[in-house]
Amino acid sequence: MSEPEVEIDEGALERVPSLVPGLDAVLCGGFLRGGLFMIQGSPGTGKTILASQILYSHAAAGSHTLFVTVLGESHGRLMMHLRPMRFFNPALIPEHVTYISAYHTLKDEGLKALQAFLLREIQAHHATLLVLDGMSAVEAATAGLGFELKRFTYELGTLATTADCTMFLLTTASGTMSAPEHTMVDGLIELRQRFYGARSERRFVVHKLRGSAFLEGEHAFRITRAGVTVFPRTEALLATPTRRDPPSGARVPTGIASLDTMLEGGFPAATMTAVAGPSGAGKTTLGLQFLAGSSAAEPGLLFGCYEPPERLRLKAATMSLDLVALEGRGDLEMLWYPIGEHILDELAARLLDAVRRRGVRRLVIDGIAGFQQAALEPERIVRFWSALSHELRALGVTAMHTLEMPDLVGAEVRVPLGGISSLAEVMVMLRYVELRSRLFRLISLFKVREGAFDPTIREFAITNAGVVVGQPFEGVEAVLSGMAREAARIAAISAAGEDGDRDLSSGDTARSG
Amino acid sequence: MSDVATVLVVEDEFAIADLLEMVLGDEGYRVLLAVNGRQGLERLAEGPRPDLVISDYMMPVLDGAGLIEAMRGNEAYRDIPCIVMSSMPETSVRERLDGYAAFVRKPFHLAAVVELVATILAGTQTGS
Repeated sequence: MSEPEVEIDEGALERVPSLVPGLDAVLCGGFLRGGLFMIQGSPGTGKTILASQILYSHAAAGSHTLFVTVLGESHGRLMMHLRPMRFFNPALIPEHVTYISAYHTLKDEGLKALQAFLLREIQAHHATLLVLDGMSAVEAATAGLGFELKRFTYELGTLATTADCTMFLLTTASGTMSAPEHTMVDGLIELRQRFYGARSERRFVVHKLRGSAFLEGEHAFRITRAGVTVFPRTEALLATPTRRDPPSGARVPTGIASLDTMLEGGFPAATMTAVAGPSGAGKTTLGLQFLAGSSAAEPGLLFGCYEPPERLRLKAATMSLDLVALEGRGDLEMLWYPIGEHILDELAARLLDAVRRRGVRRLVIDGIAGFQQAALEPERIVRFWSALSHELRALGVTAMHTLEMPDLVGAEVRVPLGGISSLAEVMVMLRYVELRSRLFRLISLFKVREGAFDPTIREFAITNAGVVVGQPFEGVEAVLSGMAREAARIAAISAAGEDGDRDLSSGDTARSG
Repeated sequence: MSDVATVLVVEDEFAIADLLEMVLGDEGYRVLLAVNGRQGLERLAEGPRPDLVISDYMMPVLDGAGLIEAMRGNEAYRDIPCIVMSSMPETSVRERLDGYAAFVRKPFHLAAVVELVATILAGTQTGS
């Protein structure tokens, strides 16, 4: 007898992409082909929409899929609820998306018959994807018979592999690995809705994915008419930047000649600059001046949360900066996400998408508060910002972000989000100082990592020709306290043996408050 | 061979045995089941005589190699074609076993096994 070597497709680690935006990144490529996956979550968390989106997306590409219900919504109601979704395409029914009910098979004949029913329907429809909506009903049918449920789940896993049909079981259960069937599936996914005070956020968690890496922890997702979009946690997705190039040593002009002199040529290329200062000190103005240097070779992006683009265009125009022309040429884009109920990682995704789409080289983030307000877990913000900054550097972006300081003037210089400012290579401080009953705007460089810089404190002004940085603010001390004193006058008072503080506080004009 | 071909499935993994029974039954075959090689030999002795044996390689009591060796040593079963299934590569199986018609690596696709069964049985009928 002959001995033909018949090797049948092993299908070991072949992937089936979910085709759900962001989800395949969490799954490190998609679901394992021929695997059995449980999607669980409380009612209303989006299980049916997620599963339907997967089926319809594959059906649109020509696959044959099955949506099997047991004791859930009627097929008519299912479709009615899906109708607003853009992925829903009735033309795909029934050829590519087939709805069938297994209720009577389960009720009258039991689990064994249900398994045979699924096998025959898969074969009859040549289905490569199957959703079984109503695992809770199956669990109820085996109440107290954990072994039967486990056996059924095991058999489904074998059926999925041997029939080459990737299966999704939908259940309202929650929690991790507590139910016996959880141990039998290839993947366990949970959809949650987390509440933070008055607002809530949908979260996606992979508890288990056999034979594959995945992004651990919770990932936010949104359901819109486009369906489910998952936003992988930025610090998990970008744990290591996509590229690691050594610093080039090049400088990118700030658009302000005198500031470039202080910086020995400009911002170091592909770095992050933090511009800290109180409200109205000129942080955004500095950013606009930087963006005015955008060009086809150095596309610019403003990612703002405070002033809308219309106001920024006007503001720039008062300094003779024509942002409208830059936008018209495609050299500059302005995106505005006013502080609201944003998803932190969605902001990061939109920012990185805008950077990659146009090969942005000059970026202004105005300001970091937009991200801070979106961070429902404040302890994340430093890790998040670290990952985002590293990725921007990897993309060759020279970026600056504004950082709002709480006090207009005062003796205490408090830099909010200290962990974040330490991630910046360059730190620019803008301050108001009061002297002789007048407010002065001051600019100083606190650090330029691995580079020389001019450490003097200088006055600057916002003129109709743009920002002008003046000479060092000499002859005055205690400037950073916000309450400057003229050094020469204090020296004279000290020489006379008088108590300078007492003298100044008694109405001397060198100290005005 | 009668009008309805008989296939003996010897497999200790119940899910695979159940699925093969279902899918081959749907194809019109009479399917006999055994959970190990010794029970497989008992089914052979009980009859009806199968036209094809599909056997797992690793099983308790008597494995697939033992079953096929016993079949080859018995004039009555010597000519029954055997398909061997294993999650190990065929090179590992072949060290202990020969004389089988085809090898199927697990995990397999049911459709491919059904096609293989049909091909082997057709060859048996035509004497090739």
